[in-house]
Amino acid sequence: MSERTIELEVLRYRPEQDQEPFFQTYKVPCEEEWVVLDALNYVKEEMDRTLSYRWSCHMFVCGSCGMMIDGEPKLACKAFLKDYPTGKIRVEPLSNFPIERDLVVVLDDFVEKLESVKPYIIPKEERTVEQGEYLQTPAQLKAFKQYTLCINCLCCYAVCPQYGLDESFVGPAALALAHRYNMDSRDLGRAARDDVVAAAEGIWHCSFVGACSQVCPKDVDPAGAIQQAKFAHGIDYLTSFLPGGKR
Amino acid sequence: MNPRKPYVRPISKTSWFMTQGRYKVYMLHEISSLFVAIYTAILIIGLVRLGEGEAAWQGWLDAVTSPIGVIFHLIAFVFALIHTTSWFKAVPQAMRIQRGEEIVPGKLIVGAHYGVLAAVSLFVLILAGVA
Amino acid sequence: MARSAKAVPWFLFAAGGTVLSFILPVMIFTTGIAPALGLFTDALSYDTMSAFVGNWLVKLVLFGILTLACWHAAHRLRVCAHDFGIRADTAVAVILYGLATVGTATAALALVSI
Repeated sequence: MSERTIELEVLRYRPEQDQEPFFQTYKVPCEEEWVVLDALNYVKEEMDRTLSYRWSCHMFVCGSCGMMIDGEPKLACKAFLKDYPTGKIRVEPLSNFPIERDLVVVLDDFVEKLESVKPYIIPKEERTVEQGEYLQTPAQLKAFKQYTLCINCLCCYAVCPQYGLDESFVGPAALALAHRYNMDSRDLGRAARDDVVAAAEGIWHCSFVGACSQVCPKDVDPAGAIQQAKFAHGIDYLTSFLPGGKR
Repeated sequence: MNPRKPYVRPISKTSWFMTQGRYKVYMLHEISSLFVAIYTAILIIGLVRLGEGEAAWQGWLDAVTSPIGVIFHLIAFVFALIHTTSWFKAVPQAMRIQRGEEIVPGKLIVGAHYGVLAAVSLFVLILAGVA
Repeated sequence: MARSAKAVPWFLFAAGGTVLSFILPVMIFTTGIAPALGLFTDALSYDTMSAFVGNWLVKLVLFGILTLACWHAAHRLRVCAHDFGIRADTAVAVILYGLATVGTATAALALVSI
């Protein structure tokens, strides 16, 4: 195994002593096959125990280690050092979110939005245990499976200019998840989600920059989900004015 | 005392799109609408002139073939191509077609769109050429 | 939050974008570039154009294209204004959708009078 020294430029912010963030450079001896998260762990364990960042699974499943790596939102556990041949890597907390400390961002706004779209099955009818499970065909599963893969890493919010410019926007991941439940054959909650999803701050705030889908580490395609939702909720809106329509 | 002091990084409301290549590409798509608007206005004026008689129509044609007219239409043509290609590229995302358990591949949908584009273009050119 | 009426201009924007993506390049070529190249002079002559646009089906198709083009452009320019930092969205919407209405009405009047 060969070793190489990486210059890790990390944006630091310690709220108790710093007025604003600043870059601190660590020269990290790295193994060839490491990812950026390994380099951060090395800094934390061997060089500077004050560095703060979130991580957990180290295998693209938990969504904790989303951060800006050379200006691009990525999972630090999925950003291989071999893809950065210059040996200099700039690491910053996710854009568009307030910095809590170092690489840790404030997630309160997102969690609130996630809750607001009711990301759970609102069933057509409540079934008792005796009545058995809600059945679904493979084709019905396929209709929404892609949108279940979101791990809430928030890379999509970090690259969405509309969220960055106006944080009232519900945003890519939450709207894609709403779409996931709306597309589920067991769910009948589209009308219940309409107030948030089809609001001006919901799908209609999206201008289809498409950046969210480009950076998503799980290929969820939130931009596509939002456009499909515009069509579905748009039809709901127009038909609500027809005789017998629900308003 | 609350030790929390979240730091908000500023974003320029007027030049944010210069910070990333993909934002510049997006703005290029959006700006195509300006040329769509001007071209549409030119066409509507053309119809008005057509209704006003032969001299008025010839005046419109002269304006279209003037240097400024030609330069505008060349730029508008480029933006029309930008609009078409970017719109087609986005179609599979906005319009997912499912057949049974399979999602129809995006390439197929985009290819069909280019097929229709070719057919429509050919139809208009033949119409103009035959008349 | 409450459900928004933005569905209406969005449908016009999307329908317009789709129609334009197929027809716009060849239309700009035919009416804007070909005349300068000396092409289609017969087709663009006063007599041929008057007869062509005199057909009610052609009128209908042209009205459809021009209307969708107006509303497509108006809605996208509204987004553009926001993206360039203009936050007076209501005023922008009134002006742009107003212009689209004027364009639609002018196209209709012009087509009817040919």
